[in-house]
Amino acid sequence: MRIKLTSIMVDDQEKALRFYTSVFGFVKKHEIPVGEFKWLTVVAPGRNDLELSLEPNVNPAAKAFQEAMFRQAIPLAAFEVDDIDAEVRRLKAAGVAFTTDVTRMGPVTIAVCSDTCGNLIQLYQPVAIQVG
Amino acid sequence: MQAASAFQRLCRAGDLLRAARDRPVSIREAAAAAGMSPFHFIRRFRALFGETPHQFLIRARLDRAKRLLASSDRSVTDVCLEVGFTSLGSFSDQFARRVGMAPSVYRRQARARHADRPRGARDACAAPGCLTLMGIAFATFEKRERPVAGRLRRS
Repeated sequence: MRIKLTSIMVDDQEKALRFYTSVFGFVKKHEIPVGEFKWLTVVAPGRNDLELSLEPNVNPAAKAFQEAMFRQAIPLAAFEVDDIDAEVRRLKAAGVAFTTDVTRMGPVTIAVCSDTCGNLIQLYQPVAIQVG
Repeated sequence: MQAASAFQRLCRAGDLLRAARDRPVSIREAAAAAGMSPFHFIRRFRALFGETPHQFLIRARLDRAKRLLASSDRSVTDVCLEVGFTSLGSFSDQFARRVGMAPSVYRRQARARHADRPRGARDACAAPGCLTLMGIAFATFEKRERPVAGRLRRS
């Protein structure tokens, strides 16, 4: 058993594809129409081994959950970055709204931003551990 | 960075816009609820939700209209008024522009897709749950690609 696919709910798949590719910098992997929706996934550049599905949040139960988590400022996904300061600077310059600025939290440094599709996303950079 | 209180106030303004069915909520009113000037409000709202307050309001109304069309027998005019539009022309125009078809066509297609489901389950199944799209998507994709593959093999 492997973890190869995970998902996040989005309020509009077109808007999500634009944000996740042109702002976050992911790459579209699948875009297959299914009625009024799509099977839509993205991957990190150069990393074809783990897909993120951008799922329509039209199910009322999913929507209620997503809105409640957003209102409580709870992130629904976390993406690792190599240089969180540079990444946050880049995203802010692109107009991304942050609810938590770069903050050291024990062994990781985090920041939280809106994906503009109904979710807060936590960016994190593991702190390099000095051995010896 | 959005201060926590500004974030909460923008969320409240979003709730106000979502709930605005019986009477129109002006941008000035929503901005006041967020404690911001209209200009500042629109800019920060867009950064958080990815669309202007007006676009957000229209999408919320159309999402609700889609659910009502798929799951109830109410007329298109009834649905239009219920979700907060005052003109059927404007509703049909916005619906066609954003959903890609007329409300009546959307209803027909949604019902055809879910004809075998009990009425009570239509609302939920008009809205796919997480990952249910994957199987349908790949099955459709395979069906579409198979004849092409067959032709290629034969030639």
